[in-house]
Amino acid sequence: MPLSRRTLIGSSLAAATAAAIRPAQAAANVLRIGISTSLSTLDPMMVTTGDEYIYANLVFNGLARMREDLVVEPDLAESWSFSDDLKRWTFRLRRGVKFHDGQEMAADDVVASFQRLLDPAGTSPVRSQYDMVESVSAPDAATVVFQLKISYGGFADILTDRQVKIVPRSAAAQLATQPIGTGPFKFVSYTAGDRLVLARHAGYFEPGLPKLDGAELRIIPEMSVKIAALQAGDIDVLWDLPLEQVKPLSGRADLRVDSIPTASWDGAILNNAIPPFNDKRVRQAFHLAVDKKEVVELTLFGQGVETISPIPPSHPFYAKDVVVPKTDAAAARKLLAEAGYPNGIKLPIILPVGRPVRERLGVTLQQIAKAGGFDLQVQRLPYSSFNAEVSGKAPLYIDGFFARPTVDTSLFPFLRSMGSWNERLWHYSDEAVDRALDAARSSADPAVQKKNYIDMQAALVANPASFFAYSVNYACAYRKSVGGIKTHPMKWFDLRHATLG
Amino acid sequence: MRLAAFLLRRLLGLLGVLLGMSVLIFGIIHILPGNVAYAILGEFATPTAVAQLEAKLGLNDPLPVQYWRWFDAMLHGDFGMSIVMNRPAASLIGEALGRSALLAGLAFGLIATGGIALGLYAATHRGRVSDKLLTLAQFVLIAVPEFFWAILAVLLFASWLNLLPATGYAPLDAGVADWAAHLVLPVLVLSFGLVAHVSRLTRSSMLEVLDSRFVLAARARGLPERRVLWRHALPNALLPAITVLAIDAGLLIGGIVVVETVFAYPGLGRLLVYAIERHDLPLLQVGMMVVTAIYALANFVAELLYAALNPRIRVAGASA
Repeated sequence: MPLSRRTLIGSSLAAATAAAIRPAQAAANVLRIGISTSLSTLDPMMVTTGDEYIYANLVFNGLARMREDLVVEPDLAESWSFSDDLKRWTFRLRRGVKFHDGQEMAADDVVASFQRLLDPAGTSPVRSQYDMVESVSAPDAATVVFQLKISYGGFADILTDRQVKIVPRSAAAQLATQPIGTGPFKFVSYTAGDRLVLARHAGYFEPGLPKLDGAELRIIPEMSVKIAALQAGDIDVLWDLPLEQVKPLSGRADLRVDSIPTASWDGAILNNAIPPFNDKRVRQAFHLAVDKKEVVELTLFGQGVETISPIPPSHPFYAKDVVVPKTDAAAARKLLAEAGYPNGIKLPIILPVGRPVRERLGVTLQQIAKAGGFDLQVQRLPYSSFNAEVSGKAPLYIDGFFARPTVDTSLFPFLRSMGSWNERLWHYSDEAVDRALDAARSSADPAVQKKNYIDMQAALVANPASFFAYSVNYACAYRKSVGGIKTHPMKWFDLRHATLG
Repeated sequence: MRLAAFLLRRLLGLLGVLLGMSVLIFGIIHILPGNVAYAILGEFATPTAVAQLEAKLGLNDPLPVQYWRWFDAMLHGDFGMSIVMNRPAASLIGEALGRSALLAGLAFGLIATGGIALGLYAATHRGRVSDKLLTLAQFVLIAVPEFFWAILAVLLFASWLNLLPATGYAPLDAGVADWAAHLVLPVLVLSFGLVAHVSRLTRSSMLEVLDSRFVLAARARGLPERRVLWRHALPNALLPAITVLAIDAGLLIGGIVVVETVFAYPGLGRLLVYAIERHDLPLLQVGMMVVTAIYALANFVAELLYAALNPRIRVAGASA
């Protein structure tokens, strides 16, 4: 059969050519990072997913930036100062910073970037996080002044966040298609479902950086394929490695696997507005029923650590001296009986389909909480319908949040009475917690902040808002040829010093 | 004349199908759970932000108004914007469609040639070990789904042998060899099941023809076996294969979604999955319309081919 023979010869020829060109591929000085999903936007103000945050932090700069050890340092600003009442913040800008199109960045660009973000008619997803800003002005080309409505000690810290990047005032309209920033890498092209290509910004303001000629974000949804691509050398970095892969891949000689603590957390959301969790005793019983250590082992394969609140145990503000009651199933059942549930509670727990870690958390809780009188029925719903149908409405469901750049932004909206996230999750209100959160944000002194945050955690143990299960680790796998990258707990990459050996 | 009337009738039918499908697609998409405003705003969705965005996107109008706005715009050549990516849907789909067409075209070529060739080989070696092995392989290939082969192929060729890239796409400007190397695995995996399908069918229809009286007659007249096979049996055995190939063109579209996802190949299938995940309704609507049109066109072409190739239809048309 001549046809079949030809087909056979054809495909073996293709395979042979493929083999011949494989070694040549890795030669270029371009770092290839495997990510999971297509970017929906190239406008830094609109980014909402981890994959997009990576891009925003390579192409743009903010006024301040956050190092891998969570220390905030100046970025486009050279320095800053604040008034005694913490309401007036003055930023001195770095001079000679060039946008990718060659124009020099000036104070007007900073003002325009913030006005765009704060525009009530705009669609910025994070506008409410900057509610405290009353006005932004530029007294001269190198100075920007923020006037705040409230005293806010962490204002410079929140300017490290992922959406507050400085863009040229003349080019805001083209950000969706031809973005321009000041970052170490400039945008070259983007193909949805395939890759985002970035090239070295020759005019970057730190001399000699970046060391790479470029970077590519390769979009590979299937994890087994991504791991195969890393092993085969088709990509150099695998972003956000599933935690069950940390141990198996750590043994490989050609790879380096990093698993680091972060402030990202998952938990069971207990709705304080409706029965049964509107009763404090039921919330306490849930905490008594579940051993968080066991949850970490079963859900995260040990790649995480149990926590009281969104403040991770790796943070200096973590309340390591506050005593958390020991797991005690009998005590949990007793509390439930006091609350009017002598036979325990039977209720559904909703899990987000397509978030494997959170699904695992839900099933783990269902198994563990049984002994403490909680009979949970697992229901699975697509995560895309969570916001519309579950959040703030269901009595019990699994959710989780990405780390935020400051302790205040990870706590205040979530736990302060009437906080924006509080209203969409658990409807919690506690006077001691409110007092501590208010006091912490109106001081710029770390010692005062620490004292108040520890008070808040103690209050949270006494009157739980919800079930914060753990601070989850974040893992990345690198080929050994990659150097100069420290895994960043905010899950983005600083590639200024990255090299390919 | 009759051919023209036949063509016209089929074309009208085609338009009717597309029109009906547009209503159906629009309807189904709008009863999907979830909400695009939440999808765009992500974890930052507050009720006010959602309401504002919905108003801006025109999602508060009654459904028939929204349908007419979409349909009317399409008639005027405006295929709308991807509301999540904020880029024209037509160019997004056009680019993705081109890449999918390449994948599908190569796979289809392999399915047609490989499937028919293997079927003929099996039919002419009926009952021998090679035929039995082929039959076994065909059943395995048909029974096991693409995503399994895809992951197996990646593990074998990329991870273990390190012969081929694990992911399925390199732009042409990166070099022809690189581009071709990236295509090998997706094309092979996409073809596997359907090659087996076509070859099974070719085998059985060839066997049927070989057992028929006219082949017996041809052999009885002493025609050489080669001539009996190629001139008499083959053309008749191919007719059912062509129908099956047309059906397989539809199955190919389903397979392409899986293969593109596994191999990270930026085609139409990936784009549709993305649009579903992010509730990008305008993009999804246009994408589904394109898939519908391709499917309807493939069937249309198959009917024409069948009519052109089948002498019985030709004779019936001439004598009636």
